Amino acid sequence: MKLLVLVLNRFFWFFPTVLGLMLVTFTISHVIPADPVAFVAGDNATNEQIEALRAQLGLDQPVHVQLYRYVLSVVQGDFGVSLYTLRPISHDLASRVPATLELTFVAVLLSAAIGIPLGVISAVNRNSLLDHLLRVFTVSGLAIAAFWLAILLQLLFAMELGWTPLQGRVDGWGPDEVTRFYLIDSLLMGDLDIFLSAASHMMLPAITLAYPAMATIVRFTRAGVLEAINSNYVMYEEAMGFPRRVIVWKFVLRNALIGTVTQIGLIFGILIANAVVVEAVFDWPGLGLYAVQSILQSDYNAIMGFTVVAGVIFIVVNLIVDIAHGFIDPRESR
Amino acid sequence: MTMTGNGLTTALRRLRRAGVVSLTSLALGITLAAAPVADVEAKNTFVFANSSAYDTMDPHAVFDVGRVAYRINLYDGLMRWEDNPPVLNLWLAESFDITEDGLTYTFKLRKGAKFHDGSEIEAADVVYSIERMLALKKGAAALFIGTVASGSTKALDKYTVEFNLSKPSAIFMATVPEIHVLNADLMKQHVNNDDWGSAWLSTNDAGSGSFKLKRYDPAKGFLAERFADHFMGWGDKYLDEIEFRTVVEINSRVLGLMKGDFHGSDGYMPQDQIIRLRKSDNVNVEEQESMRIFYSIIHNGRSPMNDINFRKALSYAFDYDGFINNILSGSVARNPGPLPNNIWGAPKDLAGYTYDLDKAKEYLAKVKEPIREITIGALAGYGQTEQAAALLQNGLTKIGIKSKIVAEPWPVASGKMRDEQQMYDLLFLWKSTYYADPNNWVGEMYDGASIGARNNSWYKNPEVDTLLHEAQTTTDTALRERNYAKAATMVANDAAGIFIYNTKWFGPIDKRAKGFRFCPIGNGQEMRWVYFE
Repeated sequence: MKLLVLVLNRFFWFFPTVLGLMLVTFTISHVIPADPVAFVAGDNATNEQIEALRAQLGLDQPVHVQLYRYVLSVVQGDFGVSLYTLRPISHDLASRVPATLELTFVAVLLSAAIGIPLGVISAVNRNSLLDHLLRVFTVSGLAIAAFWLAILLQLLFAMELGWTPLQGRVDGWGPDEVTRFYLIDSLLMGDLDIFLSAASHMMLPAITLAYPAMATIVRFTRAGVLEAINSNYVMYEEAMGFPRRVIVWKFVLRNALIGTVTQIGLIFGILIANAVVVEAVFDWPGLGLYAVQSILQSDYNAIMGFTVVAGVIFIVVNLIVDIAHGFIDPRESR
Repeated sequence: MTMTGNGLTTALRRLRRAGVVSLTSLALGITLAAAPVADVEAKNTFVFANSSAYDTMDPHAVFDVGRVAYRINLYDGLMRWEDNPPVLNLWLAESFDITEDGLTYTFKLRKGAKFHDGSEIEAADVVYSIERMLALKKGAAALFIGTVASGSTKALDKYTVEFNLSKPSAIFMATVPEIHVLNADLMKQHVNNDDWGSAWLSTNDAGSGSFKLKRYDPAKGFLAERFADHFMGWGDKYLDEIEFRTVVEINSRVLGLMKGDFHGSDGYMPQDQIIRLRKSDNVNVEEQESMRIFYSIIHNGRSPMNDINFRKALSYAFDYDGFINNILSGSVARNPGPLPNNIWGAPKDLAGYTYDLDKAKEYLAKVKEPIREITIGALAGYGQTEQAAALLQNGLTKIGIKSKIVAEPWPVASGKMRDEQQMYDLLFLWKSTYYADPNNWVGEMYDGASIGARNNSWYKNPEVDTLLHEAQTTTDTALRERNYAKAATMVANDAAGIFIYNTKWFGPIDKRAKGFRFCPIGNGQEMRWVYFE
């Protein structure tokens, strides 16, 4: 019941949150003293051509009229057209969202799959050499700039060792697009070569994205385990003679994960933001690369489309995290 | 709990039990087993890493250097610029005729030339193409609006097309290659809401070029296969496919070239990257003097820059040799005027300015207006413009002029350039080749009739205007050459801008690729001549 109320509450706040996001993004993008129309029209355009194009794009209207029209069209599912290409933003986003989501999902899985066990190990070996080594590892993960790590990984694994591809999402042009998640589409096609190619291309960007996320997960899991391990129920279970590994990995971890799962939700949003850098370095055709190009071109509609979609993804992921809380901690759903 | 001697082993054992190590190993195993085999090699595919995104495939929608590849490889024009220095060759046209008054241009088309769908290219297709450009008012349309009126171009018969200009235009022939001919019948099948098929063409192909579109993804780039029936025919050696891929990061482009993933990339990379590429076993760096001048606009319409003495002081305060030889390692050629050294009409005896602070002070002393702080504009993300701005600031400080540098992205700068009030006092940037005619530079940049549009210096000299207008309308090539040389000299003598260098093109190309023909207009990206040895 409590969980249902929480979900309904989140749905209630969903639309005001997205509207607020649109207002902020719209204001920021229109305050910048850039003239996308002059840019789109090109060096050789006459002033008459520029003004004609401005009118055609509706950018000659007062800002509040532009905002009203934009919100109205977004409500109807229309993000408008790119000022630069005049193609529907929704088409551009639809072709790029899966690439970013696929990369982000793999990065989250990787960071959780490695980060949670390392957090537990760090906690149960508190203040040992291993704990200190893991601390160095996690602090490095939080401190190292993503673009620098990306280049290092490229130089080592792609250039020096030749183990992984340098950039891109797949060799050639990829599988027939069904879900646009290449790992899934290649399996649907039954083409193992494309699957392996997609997986190999995924490794370096996923590791780059996952490393700082993993560091956060290690720290939060460690703190959660330390807190739980000193609880009375752990003392009781030890007194009952449960093996140490069962106590730690089954009972302690479940209680310790509540904070970690919340962090994973937040990390998902951070990863989408970090994808802007990682996608640019690895030439990953996702939302991040699209955002970079849109910002460089002052493409208002594309920038807002990216922001709204990223915001919605973030809200949905956090909703899923709230629901997951209910399963991990039954008290949440009562 | 403290770490015992076997603590690490125990911990790893536990980790293994948790299944993490095995999963990770599996993932890594998959990855390493999947060492990518370049499928493209087997198909004789040339992969070009491009810094600009191919966000449309409509040849009439954009007119920039960064995305020239799809225009010149997938489409044809009546004429085509080739080689360096550029020569205007017959292409879809087999002959042309110009009336003495310079108003009527008649082109005879080759018979049997085909579009990618197999239909024949006819005069009606050329008419449709110019009408579409004029209607859409995008891309290269600015070159024709005002000269070619809508409805004035006629298909005299199946293979003869006649352009009737509304006023004589000496640059018309130079711009004809930009009329990319579309398959009119195909286009008419895809019109939606009077859009001239724009939505459809932005992701499709209606051309006749040497390559035809096979795959296109705005997020990645495009793949095109050789068009065996192209009217120019093919020799024994050619590429089966070309792939132009968007790779935003310079480092990724360079590493890709060194690794052999890419076979070519843009020729205007920073020198430190060129040096890296020269050391690679896979890459040749071809060097050509291009036609892309680097200069600083000076706002001639605003005090104190409206005083020629102040402008001369600015010109003598820039360390040309230091910039070219130290900062750019001598990788460019000094270019003292507003025309590239290697275009016809460039004045041969123009000495230009040197770094001479005594002379700068001398001219500064003659300035009557009070001297305020000067704003030097630079393009954010384009290191050379920021370095040049800093070097000028250094010179200005030495002669007692205060200045500040404002680095802003191109969309911001390009908007300000058209506004007399918002325009910077100075702005460092490049002027590229859109068509190989002196008018592309001095005619566009310093014509008083274009102030606020292409003339962003607010420079107006009636004598220069007279020379330019005569050169823009006469068909007498010798007269045009003299006029442009005179105009360029006058602009330089007026110190209307700070003219620094002409770019050299350093094209990184896979060592196995041969047959490149660099042309400044196509930026070395016309691929029909290229093959792998």
